[in-house]
Amino acid sequence: MVNISLGQYYPGQSVLHRMDPRAKVLASIIYIVASFLCKNFFSFVLLFASAILLILVSRIPLRIVMRSIRALIFIMAFTAVLNIFWVTDTTAEPLIHWHFITVYTKGLYHALFILVRIVAMIIGTSLFLTYTTSPIALTDALEQLLHPLALLHVPVHTFAMMMTIALRFIPTIMDETDKIMSAQKARGADFTSGSLVQRAKALIPVIVPLFASAFRRADELATAMECRCYHGGEGRTRLRILKYHARDFLVLFALLVLIALLVTINILGARFGWLYTM
Amino acid sequence: MEDSRSGNSSQRQKNTLIQVSDLSFAYTGEDGNPIPVLSHVNLTVREGEYIVILGHNGSGKSTLAKLLNLVVDDYTYAEGHIYMSGLGEEMRDILSEDMTEEDVLKLRRQVGMVFQNPDNQLVATIVEEDVAFGPENLGVPQAELRKRVDEALATVGMTEYAGHEPHRLSGGQKQRVAIAGIIAMKPRCMIFDESTAMLDPLGRREVIGTMEKLNREEGITVLSITHYMDEAARADRVVVLSDGEIILDGTPGEVFAEGEVLRKAGLDLPQCTAAAQYLQNRGVRLEGSLNDPESCAEAILKAWNMRNTNTQPGVR
Amino acid sequence: MDPAQIVNRVPEGEVPKLRLEHITYRYSIGTPFEKRALDDVSLDIRRGRVTGLIGHTGSGKSTLVQLLNGLSKPETGRVLLDGEDIWREPKEIGKIRFRVGLVMQYPEYQLFEETVRADIAFGPKNMKLSDEEIKTRVSEAAAFAGVAEELLDKSPFDLSGGQKRRVAIAGVMAMRPEVLVLDEPAAGLDPQGRHAIFTGIREYNRLTGSTVLIVSHSMEDMAQYCDDVVVMSHAKILMAGTRDQVFARAEELEAVGLDIPLITRMTLLLIRGGMPLPSGIYTLEAAEEALSVAFGLPPVPPDKEDEGKGGTRSW
Repeated sequence: MVNISLGQYYPGQSVLHRMDPRAKVLASIIYIVASFLCKNFFSFVLLFASAILLILVSRIPLRIVMRSIRALIFIMAFTAVLNIFWVTDTTAEPLIHWHFITVYTKGLYHALFILVRIVAMIIGTSLFLTYTTSPIALTDALEQLLHPLALLHVPVHTFAMMMTIALRFIPTIMDETDKIMSAQKARGADFTSGSLVQRAKALIPVIVPLFASAFRRADELATAMECRCYHGGEGRTRLRILKYHARDFLVLFALLVLIALLVTINILGARFGWLYTM
Repeated sequence: MEDSRSGNSSQRQKNTLIQVSDLSFAYTGEDGNPIPVLSHVNLTVREGEYIVILGHNGSGKSTLAKLLNLVVDDYTYAEGHIYMSGLGEEMRDILSEDMTEEDVLKLRRQVGMVFQNPDNQLVATIVEEDVAFGPENLGVPQAELRKRVDEALATVGMTEYAGHEPHRLSGGQKQRVAIAGIIAMKPRCMIFDESTAMLDPLGRREVIGTMEKLNREEGITVLSITHYMDEAARADRVVVLSDGEIILDGTPGEVFAEGEVLRKAGLDLPQCTAAAQYLQNRGVRLEGSLNDPESCAEAILKAWNMRNTNTQPGVR
Repeated sequence: MDPAQIVNRVPEGEVPKLRLEHITYRYSIGTPFEKRALDDVSLDIRRGRVTGLIGHTGSGKSTLVQLLNGLSKPETGRVLLDGEDIWREPKEIGKIRFRVGLVMQYPEYQLFEETVRADIAFGPKNMKLSDEEIKTRVSEAAAFAGVAEELLDKSPFDLSGGQKRRVAIAGVMAMRPEVLVLDEPAAGLDPQGRHAIFTGIREYNRLTGSTVLIVSHSMEDMAQYCDDVVVMSHAKILMAGTRDQVFARAEELEAVGLDIPLITRMTLLLIRGGMPLPSGIYTLEAAEEALSVAFGLPPVPPDKEDEGKGGTRSW
């Protein structure tokens, strides 16, 4: 059996784990806003500190969190390099000047700021949404948060159902891919050598059966759902009902305080000309 | 729900639940011509019965099951009637035009289906939420939902797996979850469409045990479609389908006595029954049922002991 | 001592077609899901015979099967094909896969070509055989697996479940492997379908002289179609030997919860009830003979045989 952990959910009992998933969706939005509010050195220090605090509160091991940061390391490096070379500062002497390359101290700071912002955003969203929230809870949350849109005839329930089914079948289909690949290897298929075109062609014997099987599954599942009286979201009740608790309000309040602090720092920074504003 | 079950039981011990009358069915082929699947099928299912429907692959048994739940794609070539009790009138023809959407839901609530592939009928990513799926669709209030899910999981012996992910369960366990999902809708009748075909012997035993329990303890009428003869041996009644026609209908003993007919329908007698029938054909008188190894051994031993005491008194 | 090696001893001078030496294999090493699938397994598969491999789900049989053609590599131990380690040249493992053909469970879900013919030819094509040779192989394999001539130009997706299964088996037979390994080749099929598939496999074994290994849950199929039987339990070999040797230990098989054939179960009950029958009866014919003797019935004259057995013939 293929052993995959969907959406990197890391089971636990921390405050973040026990928060209502709707509150966590809101929290991660607020956190992203907060990271964009940072304007100067001190606000980025505060943002970075808050990210560290989040990791501590969630009790997710640092090496696990680092995994999702590592996944975006290329984009981060690219953005940082762009900032180093492209930021110009008319008020200061360039740090390096060599042919067409000019680097200012401000550029270095900007690169650092961007890095902190991206890292904080990754930590914020992944801690709130993926590491501490199971995909199914997330689906529930999105369905309920988006519920008002149903009034505008947006098929919110249908999307949520699709998400649920996708989550349910991803492991099954991964397993199946593995089996089909083994079966074709047993008939001499070679997926690892040859040119790119050859390798892409070698995948046809995997993709065709995989699609055929996915359609068959979809057909059988649809019949089974009909037999279980599924007729859309109308009149449906739910086994699991989401409830807000005090801790949800507490965390959201703490995040609002963070935003207030950042705004304050920005105002002070502008007033007193603090270091390296963006 | 409860009242419909105890409805007229005072008058007759066993009410007719489903009556299939002169049912013929064909799929539309690619060239537009009908491909016959069922022809002139007559079948009466009474409340509380445990019926096994036997037939080779392609005999039409799955189509019959799907028709009972109105989940075939195309009714162009559906002829005849399927009368069902508990849908308003005394016996309602579910193939008639006047079935409303609500009637169809009512039908599916009272006749639950469990399919062959355990993977392709579980919808949710957590066992208990999957079990809740049916009653959620029926709009059962939340408190009652909880109760039903817990009861259904207890009935199939899966309570400790309530929080598990279905894809980590064994085939037999998945199938029991699927059964729980149907029980939670409180059906009167359950149809198992080759639900044991993809399972290993252990999984098969679990599922058959659950089916028998539902029939005996919960009073649910069971229609099980299979090609395993040993499953048929345990039923109240066995119906044999071949090429879309019912060719045998009786107790397991009556059906197994027709070895030649079964063989022609592409089915095997259980080997123990075949051996016992061999002795009978050679003039050994065997009494009682000959459906499973235990009963066969009992009958053969009895005959053997009789013979020994008659022919060689004093030896035993 | 390893009981497997005692009973499945290869006659002197015979090199086993396949030999497993002290094989250990674990899944998901280093995660909470770690599982020992094979635990110091040693086994010989005899040349030119049909061997059945039986055991519960999770007993290690599917893992074992994937080691035989190098789809996975043992953690410790060696797999010897004709006395040679299949992993001696890791880069040449593809060639081993042509010599040890594997039909996986529910193989009908691997069909992908536009026609049945092209699908059966997929293996031979990967072997880089000539067009002429491929043609011969395809018709030969189709005949063995019971794929009718007129199906060859149809799309595999238009066939019935049983037909698809046979096409998939033909696809492996077309590589003409020296060892044909099949994981549950008859799962989910009705008695006729099962019989057709097993008969084809026996034919392949008889006419090509290749070695066959069949994994199955069904003791009745083992009893019917295999020369040798290997029983696995909890990642180890529980028994191995000829069909007679293994079924003589039917009570042990029942004790580990395997479904012994109904006829075996019945005769065991009769023996317990005091009837003088040989132990380990696993076919209807043997049972009929033994019961005739026990009841003192005269032997059936050859020409009356069919009549005497009435409608009780199973196969």
